[in-house]
Amino acid sequence: MSVLKIKDVSKIFPNGNVRAVDSFSLEVADGELVCLLGPSGSGKSTLLRMVGGFERPTSGEMTIDGEDITHVPPEKRPTGMVFQSHALWTHMNVFKNLAFGLKLRKVAPDEIKRRVEAVLDLVGLAGYGTRHVAQLSGGQQQRVALARSLVLEPKILLLDEPFASLDQHLRERLREEVRDIQQRLKITTLFVTHGQDEALSMADRIVVMRDGKTEQIDRPDVVYREPQTPFVAGFIGTMNLIEGNVANGIFSKAGYSTPLPVSDGPAILAVRPEALDLAVASEGSQGKVHRVTDYGTHGLVDLELNDATRVKAMVSHPDLFRAGQGVTLAPRAIAAYRDGVVIHRA
Amino acid sequence: MTAIDAGQPVLAAPERRRPIGLLLVAVPVLLVIWLIIWPIISAVIQTVWVKTPEGGNSFSVETYRFFFSDGYSLSNLSITLWTTGVCAILLLVVCLPIALYLRFSDSKVAAYVQGLAIFPMFVPSIILSFAFIRVLGPNGTVDLVFNAVGLPKIRSPYLTPWGPVIGLVWDNIPLTVLILLSGLGNVSNQAIEAARDVGAGKLALLWHIILPRISNSVLVAISFAVLGIFSAFTLPYVLGPAAPEMMGPFMQRTFRELFEPQTAITQAVITFGFCIVFGLFYVRSVARNQAP
Repeated sequence: MSVLKIKDVSKIFPNGNVRAVDSFSLEVADGELVCLLGPSGSGKSTLLRMVGGFERPTSGEMTIDGEDITHVPPEKRPTGMVFQSHALWTHMNVFKNLAFGLKLRKVAPDEIKRRVEAVLDLVGLAGYGTRHVAQLSGGQQQRVALARSLVLEPKILLLDEPFASLDQHLRERLREEVRDIQQRLKITTLFVTHGQDEALSMADRIVVMRDGKTEQIDRPDVVYREPQTPFVAGFIGTMNLIEGNVANGIFSKAGYSTPLPVSDGPAILAVRPEALDLAVASEGSQGKVHRVTDYGTHGLVDLELNDATRVKAMVSHPDLFRAGQGVTLAPRAIAAYRDGVVIHRA
Repeated sequence: MTAIDAGQPVLAAPERRRPIGLLLVAVPVLLVIWLIIWPIISAVIQTVWVKTPEGGNSFSVETYRFFFSDGYSLSNLSITLWTTGVCAILLLVVCLPIALYLRFSDSKVAAYVQGLAIFPMFVPSIILSFAFIRVLGPNGTVDLVFNAVGLPKIRSPYLTPWGPVIGLVWDNIPLTVLILLSGLGNVSNQAIEAARDVGAGKLALLWHIILPRISNSVLVAISFAVLGIFSAFTLPYVLGPAAPEMMGPFMQRTFRELFEPQTAITQAVITFGFCIVFGLFYVRSVARNQAP
């Protein structure tokens, strides 16, 4: 049972008085994998480093299984961190990298050997103990970095963009492997990434962060389908965000209008490209096709509304559309935002 | 076929450039041969190919036999080795903490500490010697301050073996700090954090992570210091005791005051012999550390 609780944690860096994390609260349940997702500078890495003990929170409290760890130094925390750059010790071979933490804990040599071999087997590197880390590929190095954390059996596993330095193919393979290992060991995990694919495919829950604050905490499917703020809507996946006005229950923008049962005033209409149907129209068109891209399995049509606002629509038959054609838009699912919060979803 | 013909001049270019490259390196190589290699060979020849009373020349190791059987020469060699060893240890003890502080401190004070550590580099040895005498010598600043507060006089290290040790350590701090700092630059913050993450305290971090990663820099720093200190002249001459004396002042006195150039050259060859042993040890260690 390893539960991580973060309560009202803030971090203000003295240089420039930057508030990197602002009153952040989160509870990560036992065995859960939570992804901190956000753009650069959103405070996700700072938050992870605070959980790891490498940054001191300016205020707030952090507990693991009820034990306050807010001011505990990293070497005494029951956490294990995997760094973006692997951070392997190049003067040691793979075995020594993994055994170092166990030796510091005065584990018996036989037990060290057993545990190191077991964890190397777990990450698919059985027999690699005598290899020098410089002889390993990037993916193997990242597995060693993961094994180095896992061998100590931490209560909380912290992953700081562990796949950022790997190529796309390897990244996809490794994230599946890491997820498998995490589920097999049922280890509570906090994972930082700025890759939404990683977050959506791995996480039990996603925390979308912006300017050190939480924008939304939800299951990946909910974050994707029901973004709570225009920022989340724009950040996760591709989303058309059309700024317009609502009058008498009709949203309108540059010749395009659609019913929107909310009070009058400005609003942002959010429509996913896959939820926007197009029809070629010789008269009464609401937009004009700018470009058609055929991806084989589907097509993506770039449209321009009358005021040059760009909108994307996913179509199953891209060959039906040509640049310059007039089209009408028919959204199947919409959300509307005002003052940064959702006001309508249909 | 055309492509091959067109490629010929390009393939021939390195052949044409080779003499230019050789000419470029020839100047420094010739200078090294003229100013370093030849004097060494000449010195060795002069010490073993000696004039006979009959006016001819013959092979003899008499000067070396004299050096290694003469108590005074051996005590000079021994004080030189002692001074070099003590200085090397003290330099590590003093410079490693400074370099570690400069590498890992975010404080603004670090810039001032770095300035202070590098400052001796710009002070000539002779100025440093007289500054030492004014501060630590008899009736120097320390004595005056102690006297003013009613404390007894200190036993001044001036004209004792510790005089050159203090001076040489101070003189060698900048280069040693700079070399260690450059080595510490290769130890990434994430490597340090990863070690702390698995439970390494400060001592374990230093011993298991930092020192192995900077072993080459430590070797380079100590080798440079040892090579300089072993054959140092000014500081041991001004601050050291009259007897025993370090090899630098010993050679000078043998040459200038005793008018025994061949004995002085023998002392120089023996000094060179020790330095080259340190040099070879350094080259071997660095090569071994760099091997995959």
